[in-house]
Amino acid sequence: MAIDTRESVSAEHSGHTAPPVRPTRRRPGWLGPHLGRALVGAVGGYAFGHWIGNVIGSGYINVQGSGQNDVAIVLGLSIGVVGWLAGAGMLDYPLAKIAGREPLPPAPSKSWTRYLGPALDHKVIGLQYTVVVLLFFFTGGLLAMAIRTELLNPTSHVFGPGTYISVVSEHGTIMMMMASSIVIGPLGNWLVPLMIGSRRMAFPRVESFSLWIFAAGYLVILAALPLGGFPTGWTGYAPLQTQATGGMDAYLVGFAVIGIGMICAGFNLLATIINYRAPGMTWSRVPIFVWSVLATAALLTLATPTLVAAGLFGVLDRTAQTAFFVNEHGGSSYLWENLFWFFGHPEVYIMALPGFGIVAEIFPVFTRKPLFGYRIAAAGMIGVALLSFFVWQHHIFQSGINPDMRPLFMLTTELISIPTGFIFLNTMGTLWKAKIRYEVPMLFALAMGFNFLIGGISGVFLSDVPVNVTVHGSFFVLAHFHYTIMGGLVFAFFGGLYYWLPKMTGKMMDRRLGKWHFWAMFIFFNLTFLPLFLVGLLGQPRRVFEYAQNLQTLNDVSSVSAFFLGASFLIFVFNFVKSIFLEPKPAPPNPWNSLGLEWQTPTPVPAYNFARIPVVLADPYHYGTSDGQAVADLGPRTLSLAGVVAPAAGALDAQAVTGEEGSADPRPPIA
Amino acid sequence: MNGGGETHHFRRLGVIWAVLAVAFDLVYYFAIGPHVPPGTLTSTASGAQFDFNILFLVAFPVMAAVWVYWAYALIVWRGSKSDLAEPEGGPKSRGHLGIQVGWIATTTVIVLGVFVFGTVELIVPAGAGGGEGPSPIWTPTSHEVLPIQVIGQQWQFTYRYPTFGGFESRQLMVPAGTTIAFHVTSLDVIHSFWAYQLGVKADANPSVDNVAYTTTKQPGAFTVRCGELCGLWHGAMYNFGKVVPKAQFFVWAQSTEHRSAANTKNLPPFAYTYVPDANGANGGYYPDNVDPYSKVETYGATSPGK
Amino acid sequence: MTTEPVAGSEFIAHEAPTLRETSEEIEYEMRSAEGAMWTGGRLVIGIGAFFFGSLAFAYFYLRSSNNEDLWRPNHITAPTGIGAAVFAFVVASALLYGYGTTRLRAGNTLDWEVTGWVTVLGGFTALGLQVWEFTQLSFFPGSSGYASCFIAWGVMNTALILGGLYWLETLLARWLRLRRAVLDDGGPARSTMPVARLFRANLEGCWYFWGFIAFVNLVFWVLFYVI
Ligand code: HEM
Ligand SMILES: [Cu+2]
Ligand SMILES: [Cu+2]
Repeated sequence: MAIDTRESVSAEHSGHTAPPVRPTRRRPGWLGPHLGRALVGAVGGYAFGHWIGNVIGSGYINVQGSGQNDVAIVLGLSIGVVGWLAGAGMLDYPLAKIAGREPLPPAPSKSWTRYLGPALDHKVIGLQYTVVVLLFFFTGGLLAMAIRTELLNPTSHVFGPGTYISVVSEHGTIMMMMASSIVIGPLGNWLVPLMIGSRRMAFPRVESFSLWIFAAGYLVILAALPLGGFPTGWTGYAPLQTQATGGMDAYLVGFAVIGIGMICAGFNLLATIINYRAPGMTWSRVPIFVWSVLATAALLTLATPTLVAAGLFGVLDRTAQTAFFVNEHGGSSYLWENLFWFFGHPEVYIMALPGFGIVAEIFPVFTRKPLFGYRIAAAGMIGVALLSFFVWQHHIFQSGINPDMRPLFMLTTELISIPTGFIFLNTMGTLWKAKIRYEVPMLFALAMGFNFLIGGISGVFLSDVPVNVTVHGSFFVLAHFHYTIMGGLVFAFFGGLYYWLPKMTGKMMDRRLGKWHFWAMFIFFNLTFLPLFLVGLLGQPRRVFEYAQNLQTLNDVSSVSAFFLGASFLIFVFNFVKSIFLEPKPAPPNPWNSLGLEWQTPTPVPAYNFARIPVVLADPYHYGTSDGQAVADLGPRTLSLAGVVAPAAGALDAQAVTGEEGSADPRPPIA
Repeated sequence: MNGGGETHHFRRLGVIWAVLAVAFDLVYYFAIGPHVPPGTLTSTASGAQFDFNILFLVAFPVMAAVWVYWAYALIVWRGSKSDLAEPEGGPKSRGHLGIQVGWIATTTVIVLGVFVFGTVELIVPAGAGGGEGPSPIWTPTSHEVLPIQVIGQQWQFTYRYPTFGGFESRQLMVPAGTTIAFHVTSLDVIHSFWAYQLGVKADANPSVDNVAYTTTKQPGAFTVRCGELCGLWHGAMYNFGKVVPKAQFFVWAQSTEHRSAANTKNLPPFAYTYVPDANGANGGYYPDNVDPYSKVETYGATSPGK
Repeated sequence: MTTEPVAGSEFIAHEAPTLRETSEEIEYEMRSAEGAMWTGGRLVIGIGAFFFGSLAFAYFYLRSSNNEDLWRPNHITAPTGIGAAVFAFVVASALLYGYGTTRLRAGNTLDWEVTGWVTVLGGFTALGLQVWEFTQLSFFPGSSGYASCFIAWGVMNTALILGGLYWLETLLARWLRLRRAVLDDGGPARSTMPVARLFRANLEGCWYFWGFIAFVNLVFWVLFYVI
């Protein structure tokens, strides 16, 4: 029996007919949740928390007259974050839920102001994320310019040592914890539902929460500057951490706040990918980018709690005067190193895997060939994610911790380069006898391969303990991770932006400016960081403001190139503003002629993504075959085609499941 | 050129790669390798240099293989505007079992080789100059080991020579042709003792005695830098040391011991770690009337054991 | 952490009211939502496991380092009576709640309601005791490794129990509002209303989470009071 898809749905089965429970109240207009209210909440919360902290702390001898009350700072920042979240409307539903209320339906706004408040549409949140991540990235970039300015000369200084170390620490923290650890915020959130054929995220409120708490983290980390900065770099080693002044509290609270954001972002993406795949979107058809997001999200969700716990211990050491990291009182300075890197190494793969996914997604489109070794690519990502929990001590080879374990960690570290190397197998196999189209995204993807090879191979040098004796703590390490993160992830990210922005914004980016941006970024990136391998080998430690006279030439090459590298992003910003706002050129729905499911949607993508839940028929990589097979049926008459929905007792309209194939129904009109 | 057969492409790639890899490796081995840091002042320095060079000789062919292939592909298989036909797709270009297995096998062999090499090079030279913790399991075979204590504090290194009455000096003098055990510790935060040309690096943790071995060869000068961020003046925490002939070293050590005898008396007796005044460096954990050195003190509250 | 998904896409209802979902689509999205509840509930436990795993790591690390012999001088112990009471209340609450859940499955709503609210009470008692314990310690936070770990445990356990209570309370409150409609539709165990199905999935997750809370409390009770 054929069923009519337009048939109206009986009330019991619909989630949308008058819910039995009264939803949360919505406040209209300027009183409603938005950025401005969030800022007010943050300031108010800080003042309030600081006051409470003073009440609590002022009785203690070590606070009186010391000019510093860590309790007040920690409480101020924490309650400030809560105020920010309340202002952004993030607490409305969680609080209403205590009274048993239902969530609000999505706000009906179509105006651009919906980007300034809480959102439920993953595409709105994805674009919000794009803006904040670029903001993090450019903030960190400006700080990098400051660092390279200081290092122009080995002995004469632009900054005092305190300012310099604060700048270095802020740069590292913002880049590592905020800019690169959440690139799946913009691209993952925007793309994953479209790629897996879903109309929504599993937990859109958790997703939105992660965005807003990340933004709060940015303010907290920046608040370290007026609080005196912090001297520890992004690694925050104790007991220097325990000893540092007020800015350190901002670092610790900021890490916890960002960590919660990372957990939430990963949590939602995991639940979505596992559960919201369209019928027919089997695990062997899931786009490789989604695999990379899956692996990344698993790391975000499971590794980050350790960071939050470590941050809590640090805060307790500084406020309640516990002694976790203080050897003289029964603590251990090694404890922080272990906890930090147990999170920290998975974190570095959080900064690598999305790049692999993006590149593996771009290659087939611009070579017009299937992705070579799809299964190996997916397995490699999962393998990397698993192994990355077992290598953390390679960061502390010279510390005297477990010296007998060094061969083991050397082994695991080197083993991880095997699955990491699969990305080269995939890309090289895809290039074989291809027809390469040198569009801007492809250029970035190719450059990622070039850079990441240097980064990865230098990683193997670092993992060799005897060589590590010389290069650990030097600019060699610095060059290594800039090659993997900046050269790998950031190149892939910008390639991904050029590739997907036409879908995300509905406007084409300018191709010529894109190529200018690419070549400037590629050349000056390499000129900036290649000399730094040498600088490190020649004995310059990281995070110093004075260095040997004979290293000035190399440092200056790096500094000057860095300024040009920084300038190359101005081309991007100019391109972005011009192509999207000033002279917008509408993008066709599928400008790259890609098979990806996300490209089969109309542009702009409607809020509900797909008018009908699509039935996926193939993976998106069957380029070069003449069978003309579609990736998905976008107007399926029945989902049972894919055999995914089995009849459920009593719950399911039996007709729908057993509906036999017949003449195609016209798609229902979209209002 | 697109039409060429598989073997044809493979042969050309192979030749280009082999020529490049061999040529560069030869140049590297003879012209660059001997000058690679940290030089050859000590056994561990030359060990590090040797390891770096071996790794490089292996790594370059690997990188060359990838780069040659990419360059070849980017030129030979670039698409043209006129030819819009899609390349050959189908199941064959989705994966090739032999190539995939071969790739995994090759990378695994290389990686395991590098691991075995690295482990031997770590264990045989007794830790390769890295910090080995308080009780090293890989120790030098030499019977004459000169212990030197390195004390890191914000923001300088000082050195104590226990075999010479435990005097403390801001100068690091080391005898040539001697095996040295550096005992590295800290009085405040984490530092790292990085004697660059000696090929030694060991973190300085408070309350921890981190031992690193090396054997000096010929006399020479070296730099010591702090290798772990330790606060404001981390960048200025460096000094210079010297490897001097044994006789000269003894003269220096004995005269310094003698000259600083009065000072040494005021120092805490030599120990592998020092617990600074608990109300000092790490500040304010104890109420004023409490003895911070008492192991059993429960600080004013009644101990459940009493 | 337990934001509930609504069946189907909220946007279809909102943005394209004429675009009616087929019953099949609604069912498909319902199952996705149920699955997400399931996944989410287990993930929360995973997150908690790594969070408390870090504390356990710190505990054993400091214990085996025993720096300056200050892991646990004199074998100091936090107030054992209060500790045992916290432990007992948490475990009893979790067991009670588990019992209530099985009763609900059997169709007995009243039992579930009663056990649920009693569990909330029990949880709050445990919470109060855990906080009160801070004022009864015989050691300073910085006096030893044990003391430091214990302070962190107090803070973390408070957060854990608070989270469990929040989850449970929101379930119970939601139930009060759904009660009539669901009972009319065959009761909580059988109703096919989307809200009822999601409620069941949520209930299940919450129960597992309380099991996790009890497990964590057991482990750390042994670590801090028994050995
Ligand atoms: C082939 C794979 C890799 C290997 C074998 C490897 C190995 C290592 C080793 C041994 C270190 C410690 C160096 C030291 O401090 O002595 C290190 C540091 C680091 N690596 Fe990698 N790595 C690899 C890939 C990556 C990737 C993919 C990323 C990030 C996208 C990354 C980011 C970092 C960072 C950020 C540090 C330094 C952290 C710090 O000290 O601040 N690495 N790597
Ligand atoms: Cu690592
Ligand atoms: Cu230092």
